[in-house]
Amino acid sequence: QQIQEDLNKQLFDNLVSFLRRSHSEFQEKTKEWTCRMKSREIPTAALVLGVNVTDHDLTFRSLSEVLQNNITPYIALLEAKDCPGIKNLMQKLMGQLMNCYIEVDSLEDEDCVQVSQKRMRCSMTSLINWYESVTKKMDSKTPSKKRTSCSRHWQSPPVVVIFKDMESFITKVLQDFIVISSQHIRELPLVLIFGIATSPMIIHSLLPHSVSSLLCIELFQSLSCKEHLSTVIDKLLLTAQFPFKLGEKVLQVLINIFLYHDFSVQNFIKGFQLCIVEHFYSQPLSVLCCQLVDAKKRVNSLSHDQCENIRRLPSFRRYVESQASQKQIALLTADNFLKEIIQKLLEDLHVYHENYVSVLRCLHVFTSSLPKYPLGKQIRELYCACLENRVWETEEYESSLQLARMLNKSDLVTMLQQCVEIFVSSSGKEFDKTVEKLKEFLTQFQKLEAEAFQEQDVSVSSQKELQKKTDLYHLQKTLLELKESRRSKKLTKFEKLRFEVVDYIDSLVRNYLVPADHKTLHEIVYFNTASVLRGHLNAAPRIALHTALNNPYCYLKNQALKSDGGSISNKAPDICIVYKLHLECGRLINLVDWLEAFSTVVMAVEGPNADAASSDQVDDIIHARFIRAVSELELLGFIKPSKQKTDHVARLTWGGC
Amino acid sequence: LAKKTKEDKMSNLVEEYFEAHSSSKVLTSDRTLQKLRKRRLNQQTLHDLLKKAPLAYAAEIKELNQQHESLFSKWMLQLHLGFNIVLYGLGSKRDLLEKFRTSVLQGSLHLVVNGYFPSITVRSILNSITEEVLDHIGNFRSPLDQLEFIIKRFKEDSSLQLYVLIHNLDSQMLRGERSQQILAQLSSLPRIYLIASIDHINAPLMWDQAKLSLYNWLWYETTTFSPYVEETSYENSLLVQQSGSLALSSLTHVLRSLTLNARGIFRLLAQHQLENKDNPSYPGLSFQDFYQQCREAFLVNSDLTLRAQLTEFRDHKLIRTKRGADGVEYLLIPVDDSTLTDFLEKEDEDV
Repeated sequence: QQIQEDLNKQLFDNLVSFLRRSHSEFQEKTKEWTCRMKSREIPTAALVLGVNVTDHDLTFRSLSEVLQNNITPYIALLEAKDCPGIKNLMQKLMGQLMNCYIEVDSLEDEDCVQVSQKRMRCSMTSLINWYESVTKKMDSKTPSKKRTSCSRHWQSPPVVVIFKDMESFITKVLQDFIVISSQHIRELPLVLIFGIATSPMIIHSLLPHSVSSLLCIELFQSLSCKEHLSTVIDKLLLTAQFPFKLGEKVLQVLINIFLYHDFSVQNFIKGFQLCIVEHFYSQPLSVLCCQLVDAKKRVNSLSHDQCENIRRLPSFRRYVESQASQKQIALLTADNFLKEIIQKLLEDLHVYHENYVSVLRCLHVFTSSLPKYPLGKQIRELYCACLENRVWETEEYESSLQLARMLNKSDLVTMLQQCVEIFVSSSGKEFDKTVEKLKEFLTQFQKLEAEAFQEQDVSVSSQKELQKKTDLYHLQKTLLELKESRRSKKLTKFEKLRFEVVDYIDSLVRNYLVPADHKTLHEIVYFNTASVLRGHLNAAPRIALHTALNNPYCYLKNQALKSDGGSISNKAPDICIVYKLHLECGRLINLVDWLEAFSTVVMAVEGPNADAASSDQVDDIIHARFIRAVSELELLGFIKPSKQKTDHVARLTWGGC
Repeated sequence: LAKKTKEDKMSNLVEEYFEAHSSSKVLTSDRTLQKLRKRRLNQQTLHDLLKKAPLAYAAEIKELNQQHESLFSKWMLQLHLGFNIVLYGLGSKRDLLEKFRTSVLQGSLHLVVNGYFPSITVRSILNSITEEVLDHIGNFRSPLDQLEFIIKRFKEDSSLQLYVLIHNLDSQMLRGERSQQILAQLSSLPRIYLIASIDHINAPLMWDQAKLSLYNWLWYETTTFSPYVEETSYENSLLVQQSGSLALSSLTHVLRSLTLNARGIFRLLAQHQLENKDNPSYPGLSFQDFYQQCREAFLVNSDLTLRAQLTEFRDHKLIRTKRGADGVEYLLIPVDDSTLTDFLEKEDEDV
């Protein structure tokens, strides 16, 4: 647990810092703009943030932080749910502004009095009065540090009001607020910031012309969430830094949830977190999932049971089977020997990961510049493809190779060059690069480049010659030379092709093996039970209900319940029978008929052994059971009482579910 | 291929919808429960009868429950990591949550909310938090203020921990947008751990993206197959006598507390109504005629006393007045005829 919490924290810190960075640019722009604006209208910044509402919290928080540090101490952040009316809005606004102010300089106690009475009168005039008093105070004592920085920008710092979710505000409230504040813009320098989830059109549809003409709007676009995702994946998954890895299926599930459901990076992170929790909770060997140095220590302190656990791993079994018989016995019996081997294997795994990432990036540079992107445009797609299968056996890979061969023009050289550069920088970052092959590649590429330069030189010089000498004989000669050089160029083209093939085959075959089918002990670091994840994150309650009602055998393992789909088994629980009967009906269900059908089905079981004398009582019990089942169905939302006809219920679902 | 079959399934579903809703005419038989020989059961007898009926597949259900119970420690871990847990599936999850409460939460601060209880509100939940957990006396102007107060307290005091168990988060009273918003905000507090259960098939519709991210749900399928005893006891089913309309028992109760003359007046009206029960255009007994009849039977002596009596009936919802086309007041008993016949028979027995 500890490790895992550490990991969580690490992960979160990483993410937050990344988000900060990605937003900082955007914030800089906004900030600059806030400083610059000064006009008769209310300056307004519209931030188009995208539909992933859940991620915006962080953005706004950091935005207000940045603004607070650099421009103005007065920031209010309003949410739609707090402002059902203009009165609430004003209250909230004043409360926040005064609190903001106090936060900034907590030295002054007098303001506390002010705050305590804030509820009393929350009108625009009192706000202005307050603002004037504050600014006056500010003017009077300029030596204070923060103030000077403020007043450098402005004599009177602006009051920034952020509307977090523009779409969910009530139009009337928003309009009123804008109109009111526009009347006081002289005394109270307001700046509005709208957070918009959809498109800037919403401003015009929410605000009529008379109101929007009071605003001076400038638009800001934030990064799209897809870019966020790819950076997050880049930072979290494609580093050797984190020992924990995701299996292909799990990653696919997470990405699918992101792309097809919510576009929320926050949820992606949540899913990732859940994976970590699940992994460390369910897999007993996950203690070894940590940095190499720690892992080695932990291997030494493994208990016998844990060793047994390791022996039971399928990947380890495969490893044992591939060993000599002598060694097999030692592995299966002697713990100490096993521990040594494990250490070695873990080291292998670590090295493998390090190589993997950089080669993957290299391949990505190659494939992402191909037309039509057979292996995917984003690095995450490539990663999935590589995790899923042996990548060199797939058709897409084949086609991408073919494309690379066809694409063999001079611009490919520049592309290669660029790719090498990235490779160098990444290999520089991955400090203990174990294979020397990178450098080998490099020299090969450099040779290539040099040759290409020579070629160019030759051709350039020949062209110059062509221009110089104009008589026929020379012309013919140079043309012949050119032809020859062209032929030789073809040869170098071939060379390049060969390079590529070597490059590919080398790096791929050695480093790109699918983890599951090649590496031993991969269970320790890979989390691969996608079904659990899907069940917890993306549940389908309706399907669960449907299967439980339709086919109770799935849950209640009783042989009597086993039946073939369509027919109504009379041994099923009451509610299942009632449900099946209700499926056969149309939109309205007659209760009497329903009851009778139910009792015939149920009586079929009890009929043989029930006496005629007690039939009345049995009838009563069946009636009661029917009532219970129907009210349960009502609770579940399958039916509702209907007024259309007496003693009828309406069905709320249709078809088979 | 999978995609294609899915598409097929989708289009099938769509067609099925339109099939179900195409014709406005519905073909069902015209039989009503009225014609059934059976009398309607009331809540108590229903309960007794159900007790007699054996629970089917008890062993299997027990096994299922044990499976779910093995997850308890995992739930605790996940709750502490900032997730909240929601249980779905067929069957009442009340016992399961109770078991969770008694076995794991013993000794720690927890709050149980019975969502199926028809008079539960968010305010009462918040009140129990502020009053019993935070020991704060005093009322708040709005739930939002109260929520703010709670958030503030929880932020200040890091030793506070609270487990909230909500049975039926999707019940009638809690499914509103505002209550869900408040609960979501509550559950997003780091030291409030929420476990809830849902039953309605459309329960997930009440959460949008923002609420979902506040709730931070982990879904668990816990199909128990156990009957919804507590949950449906508040559900007014069609087949059970409804407390809303006048029942025979309440009719006799009210009338037993009245004077002899008053009972006579009601009897007169009931008899008159029964005599005219086959006449669909019977508007009720007009006040003047009624007064005349009552006078003749020596039940009232003046216009005023009859009016006073009728007002009392009206207060107990025993009669309804309707003004006819000619401006005359007509009196009706809003009880179905069979109940009325039963009532008269019973009166005759008593007398």
